[in-house]
Amino acid sequence: MAKGLIFEIEEFAVHDGPGIRKTVFLKGCPLRCNWCHNPEGLSFEKEIMVSRGSCTNCGRCIDVCKEKECSVCGECLKVCPLHLRKICGTEYEAKDLAKELLKGKEILEKNNGGITISGGEPLAQPDFLVELINELKPIHVAIETSGYAPEEVFKKVVDSVDLVLMDIKHTDPTVHKQFIGHDNELILKNLKYLCNSGKKFYIRIPLIPGVNDTRENMERTAELLKDAKGLERVELLPYHKTAGAKYSMVGREYKPIFDVEKIPNAFLEPFQKYNIRSEVL
Amino acid sequence: MNKRIEKMLSDILNKKHHAFRQYINQVVFTKITEEFAARKLTDTFRATIRLQKVLEMETPVILGDEKIVFMRTVRKIPEMFTPKEWNDIRKDHYIHELGKVCNISPDYATTISVGLEERRNEALQTLKVTVDTKGKEFLQSSIDSIDAILKLTERYAKEAEKAGKTDVAEILERIPRFGATTFQEALQSFRILHFALWASFNYHNTIGRFDQYMFPYLKADMDAGRLDYDQAFELLEEFFLTFNRDSDLYPGMQQGDNGQSMVLGGIDSQGNDAYNLLSEMCLKASLELKLIDPKINLRVNKDTELKLYELGTQLTKQGLGFPQYSNDDIVIPGLLEKGYSLDDARNYVVAACWEFIIPGVGMDIPNIGALSYSNVVDRVVQDSLSKCKDFDSLMEMVRTEMQSEIDNELSKFKNIYMEPSPVMSILMEGCIRTARDITHGSKYNNYGLHGTGLSNATDSLAAIKKYVFDEKTIKAEEIILAINANFEGYEDLWANLKYEAPKMGNDDDYVDSIAVELVSMFASSLKDKSNDRGGCYRAGTGSAMYYVWHVKDLNASADGRKKGEFLSANYAPSLNIKSKGPVSIIRSFAKPNLKAAINGGPLTIEIHDTVFRNSESITKVAMLVKTFMDIGGHQLQINALNKETLLEAQEKPELHRNLIVRVWGWSGYFVELDKEYQDHIIQRVELKV
Repeated sequence: MAKGLIFEIEEFAVHDGPGIRKTVFLKGCPLRCNWCHNPEGLSFEKEIMVSRGSCTNCGRCIDVCKEKECSVCGECLKVCPLHLRKICGTEYEAKDLAKELLKGKEILEKNNGGITISGGEPLAQPDFLVELINELKPIHVAIETSGYAPEEVFKKVVDSVDLVLMDIKHTDPTVHKQFIGHDNELILKNLKYLCNSGKKFYIRIPLIPGVNDTRENMERTAELLKDAKGLERVELLPYHKTAGAKYSMVGREYKPIFDVEKIPNAFLEPFQKYNIRSEVL
Repeated sequence: MNKRIEKMLSDILNKKHHAFRQYINQVVFTKITEEFAARKLTDTFRATIRLQKVLEMETPVILGDEKIVFMRTVRKIPEMFTPKEWNDIRKDHYIHELGKVCNISPDYATTISVGLEERRNEALQTLKVTVDTKGKEFLQSSIDSIDAILKLTERYAKEAEKAGKTDVAEILERIPRFGATTFQEALQSFRILHFALWASFNYHNTIGRFDQYMFPYLKADMDAGRLDYDQAFELLEEFFLTFNRDSDLYPGMQQGDNGQSMVLGGIDSQGNDAYNLLSEMCLKASLELKLIDPKINLRVNKDTELKLYELGTQLTKQGLGFPQYSNDDIVIPGLLEKGYSLDDARNYVVAACWEFIIPGVGMDIPNIGALSYSNVVDRVVQDSLSKCKDFDSLMEMVRTEMQSEIDNELSKFKNIYMEPSPVMSILMEGCIRTARDITHGSKYNNYGLHGTGLSNATDSLAAIKKYVFDEKTIKAEEIILAINANFEGYEDLWANLKYEAPKMGNDDDYVDSIAVELVSMFASSLKDKSNDRGGCYRAGTGSAMYYVWHVKDLNASADGRKKGEFLSANYAPSLNIKSKGPVSIIRSFAKPNLKAAINGGPLTIEIHDTVFRNSESITKVAMLVKTFMDIGGHQLQINALNKETLLEAQEKPELHRNLIVRVWGWSGYFVELDKEYQDHIIQRVELKV
């Protein structure tokens, strides 16, 4: 029995696959996308999350703390008068999480939906993930992944789900490394497997102004996808400058190295050229 | 919409027609009332003379190239009684709201179809065989009222002639005197009758099943080739605009609360789905015009296709706060249980907000009062919590207290008085035939009570159940002290109750089962009650303005709500609570036996406007609505909201003059609301995706 760490369950996630779905977010990611809008999904550990906006600096959380380094004991949560602190990260056994997710499953099933597993990077908790998928079945399961995972893990997961939502953030390995922390070799290998597998999948491209929103990058992406049998659509997700909103909550600093004020380009023609259904979300 | 409609719409939004409104000194109105008193006229005659005077004061105005005419130029309607007279009446009678006939659904269809001349003849015939004075007086008043309406129509016809609009003049020479023969005539006839109701000081004059009673005229015109779809649609859009012309003059709790609710779809008297071309056209017209009136209600059932919900969701996306959906599969059986006939139940409409009433035969007062669940629970907690040995005995105390609250509330509604209304009576079945004004009652004379603060009461009881009885971590006395101190000095306890305790709206039976019990208690407390007009009482899930009114004297509560904080509006989770999401919300709120709560009151869900971005997510919202109905929901209404926009509108109202929001049972312009209602909307749970 592998245990897994999640940071949120979202009901009625309308942009995470077909029908009425619940999306569960697994905590922890090996990538460091410069524009990441879910910084609480980066660490593989539980952490304290604080809404600092309405904090009155009353100091009760500091007074109660007995640790040098935060051990996420949760003592400070109890004393915050405005309840601004929470522990981000809940540990689950796969079957318990499945039970929670499948509550009200008739509604999901009746409305052509199911469960989407997102993150973080869900493939970074492979044993737990595979067990969770098995527990969830036969409901429709979708996985949302960066594709950055060992090939055997990727294959195993792709083969066991009904739909894959995969990102292609950049086609150029150097730029990829610069903005994401790793090059895209592994991702492209996995993409190749996905394209040949016949499995239904969506490709999602976050449009980051000045980074990957060029016509050329879209053309190269489309080129990679043109013969994929299972490709249902390409979704372009324009960057929004509220992406940085949650960084301070987990004690991180948002340091974008691109122009956040610029509105990204959204080229759909390169995909239309190959009759790939594409849209801007 | 075409250029002509576009121009008319823009003129209405810019209030150009207000230029024609007359400035009449208040003294003129006061004098009319004083003269009534001096002449010691009966109330029925007063109602008639008042209408005659108001219609005489009116100046016919034909705006631009409009085809459906009649607008108010007289801003006020004189009172029927002097303040002293009114005080005397109040001493002996219960007065509901303003004491006028309101919030019912007139049968426009019959009069549109046969014409006022025939109704006048009916009154004349009945007059010949009527012997009692009251009856004679009523019939004479009906005749005089019809004459007054026709007289103003004649003046309008002349004005149209003068303006070179012979087509309009020709129509006005035929209707409403005679039965309408075309769609345009029927629309114009409706407009005049509706106008006459408002001019009689009736208010919350609902529109009813417009798509049903108007469809034959549309169909006949289209079949005969007199109208094509586009022409019919243009007429319909113009007709919709007329509801927004005088609406700021109509009485209501807040601007926008005017009761012009239109009901579309639903089953017919045979039980077949009656959604038709006109229903669809109405939805599309509302979608294009984006105006708060008419307020669209959609009747649905288990066979309603997703497509219709999608069209409804397109409308929701505009941020209009409607359509409001009502579920025939719950409402009709619920009405049957309360003694409505099958035919009537199948013909239900909604009153000004959401209450289920029957057109033409329902003289129900579905909003006569309200039960405050929160008040009941507060009293029980204060007086009895320390004495209760377990949660079940606490709930028994709630049952007893609720019954005594209900008994107390019902004892007020005795010997009600309403100003007679000959015009409304003409439009209600049987009044002319029986020579009785509608104020004396109709086939149904039931009263309805709203139920406010259900989720707050439920959450309070759930917190007590968990901490006082199950886990025994908080003492009963401590909760009472904390509530009475408004949680000052009990901050940790407060945070626990507010943020850690279970809340309704999370599909958690631990909490939801309490709501199930409370709704059932409310329904049973009214079960054997009847009013002094021979009607029954109906329990509801709506709140109306009571979510603001009821908190004025309410203590803080065990759900962590501090004194003065609002209750949730209608049938919805408590404000500022964390919910798992809309699927859990609909599951929680479908649990109570809603057939027993047939006074109505929608589950209200706020969803962030970005969710409605593409057609797929529109479909998903439509699925959510359909699901609530499929699992036994009675009524639902979704708001597309954006908190940031609302906050900006509070600061810079001039930039958001046309921002529309749903308030309780109706939509209004955000910037025209009082601040407390604005604040409540901002606080409602907003579900982002």
